Amino acid sequence: MGDEWVVRLETVSKAFGRVRAVDAVSLQVGRGEFVSLLGPSGCGKTTTLRLIAGFEFPDSGRVLISGRDMAEVPAFRRPVNTVFQSYALFPHLTVFDNVAFGLRRRGVAKDEIHRRVPEFLNLVRLSEFGARYPSQLSGGQQQRVALARALVNRPDVLLLDEPLGALDLKLRKQMQVELKHLQRELGISFIYVTHDQEEALALSDRIAVMEAGQVLQFERGRSIYEGPRSRFVADFIGEANILEGIVETPGQPLAVIVANQRIRAQSLHADALQPGAPITLAIRPERISVSLQPPTSPNVLKGRIVEKIYLGGSFLIYLDVGARDPLVARCGHRGLFDQLEPGAGVYAAWELEDGIVLSQ
Amino acid sequence: MSMAAVGVEQAGILRVARGRARRALIRDTWPLFPALALLAAFFVLPLTLILPESVYDGTRVTLSVYGTVLGDAYYWIVIGRSFRLALYSTFVCLVLGYPTAYYCVRVVHPRWKRVAYMLLIAPLFTSAVIRVMAWTVILGRNGILNRTLMQMGLIESPVRLLYNELAIVVGLVYVMIPFMVLTVASVLENLDRSLEEAAQDLGATPVATFLRVTLPLSLPGVIAGCFLVFTLSLSAYVTPALLGGGRSKVMSMLIFEYFLRVFNWPLGAAISCVLLAVTLLLIWVYNRALAVGARRGRLGVEAAI
Repeated sequence: MGDEWVVRLETVSKAFGRVRAVDAVSLQVGRGEFVSLLGPSGCGKTTTLRLIAGFEFPDSGRVLISGRDMAEVPAFRRPVNTVFQSYALFPHLTVFDNVAFGLRRRGVAKDEIHRRVPEFLNLVRLSEFGARYPSQLSGGQQQRVALARALVNRPDVLLLDEPLGALDLKLRKQMQVELKHLQRELGISFIYVTHDQEEALALSDRIAVMEAGQVLQFERGRSIYEGPRSRFVADFIGEANILEGIVETPGQPLAVIVANQRIRAQSLHADALQPGAPITLAIRPERISVSLQPPTSPNVLKGRIVEKIYLGGSFLIYLDVGARDPLVARCGHRGLFDQLEPGAGVYAAWELEDGIVLSQ
Repeated sequence: MSMAAVGVEQAGILRVARGRARRALIRDTWPLFPALALLAAFFVLPLTLILPESVYDGTRVTLSVYGTVLGDAYYWIVIGRSFRLALYSTFVCLVLGYPTAYYCVRVVHPRWKRVAYMLLIAPLFTSAVIRVMAWTVILGRNGILNRTLMQMGLIESPVRLLYNELAIVVGLVYVMIPFMVLTVASVLENLDRSLEEAAQDLGATPVATFLRVTLPLSLPGVIAGCFLVFTLSLSAYVTPALLGGGRSKVMSMLIFEYFLRVFNWPLGAAISCVLLAVTLLLIWVYNRALAVGARRGRLGVEAAI
């Protein structure tokens, strides 16, 4: 069966006691695709990964790998390999034997093992470390051994459970680049569990945002960032100002009243909205421009500066526009920073398409 | 500043540093003092009395008693039997204890684990004499086992089960097995489960996972448990005395006899010293094995003792 999907979950559910860890999740991962499962801790992303690896079996629904139903297939017979959060390197085996472990279990010939293990150690730049024990390696090196140990088996899909979680920021950035590079070079599908939205955006072809055991949105990173469908996704991926308003007049664009001020918004479902209906908008801080003079844009909220925070590359301005939470604007223009003082009256404006109407 | 002055100053600094080091040593080790005092009173003192006793015949220092012990085939038989019995009981404890420990750690529901461990330790609350006597009831000529076997028609007349080496091994295993189980269980309990998942993930069957990962990583517990059971079995007195029926003598029984029945203190002291020397040798070998293992990074878990 020439299935284009390497991994396919069909309404998979898994409960632990009364907790529904994974709740009717459906996902497809294409050949050579890098997919991230992104969400806060306890959202079910790790359980989803374990269901694919075969460490857990679903209560209902199906897990298919390379077109084959995995219902009766134990972990040790699945064409997948995992990079564990704790690396889980065998402390009693050398780096070489760790990497050779999977090949030996599959009965690969000795000379083949002695060809492939060095090849993959070389791939993760650890050629010289074959004779060492894991305890003699740094965290970053252990991480790379774990990668080589999994990849040497040429799995249909590589599962990674927060693999960079234990590394410091600088090393993490470096490993992100290496991971992406490896994945491209080998053309193996990666399913990558993380709670770090920046990491997910940087690495993934597509991101599945999860919460409470469900996939809220599964799209390309850019589509999710620029078009979050729910408040949770808007908030979790990047920063977002959430504005709650009332529809004044439907149409394209809509007229919306937010904190007693009129703004414009556009929505695909604008015609279905009745005057007086509640509406929620998300606006990215970097899309808001702040000025002392009233701008010409139709989307303007008048407000007062609450706080300004210098961040080096940019600065944040907190504005009280009369809404529940202050509006946050991220600006890069240095001259403006000196002009703006807390208490000053200013205008916040944004382009029509930057006001994202959320469905929930 | 002259060279001499520098020297004096350095000596002063050294003296201050030494004083500070001594104070730090006292500060860091004082919690050990009560235990050290106890050890000195009940372990080191008797030893220092026994050693001279074995080499001093009242007029001069001589190793003649050791000659007697090591030159007489009878003592070699007893020494051999002591080691054989200790070895058997260690082996049986391991074979029965490892699966039990594995069961307690992996199969028993966490809620019942405490109960399982309590059941294991419960026999230790009873006197060793009572526990061993219970076996005479089971293994005796008209004991439970013989009667059951006869009723089942497997034997016609009672079999001699008591007062032989087999009875001693059975008794030793019964007394020692909690030590093996608890030692192995403590190591298994601390074993990182993700290592076993990693093995399965890499295609290892459950059996291969056990043989390649679980067992090697629990070896420190196995070594510690074997060591504990072996030394305790080697020096056991009550069990061989009651279940051996005086026929199968071991070293601890000889020591008891020479000290308290025959009043041949030098000979008793010499046998004690031989037993002690062998035990210390074993401790040394054990520590060496662990140190070599640790240096090669092969033992992932620290030893349980």
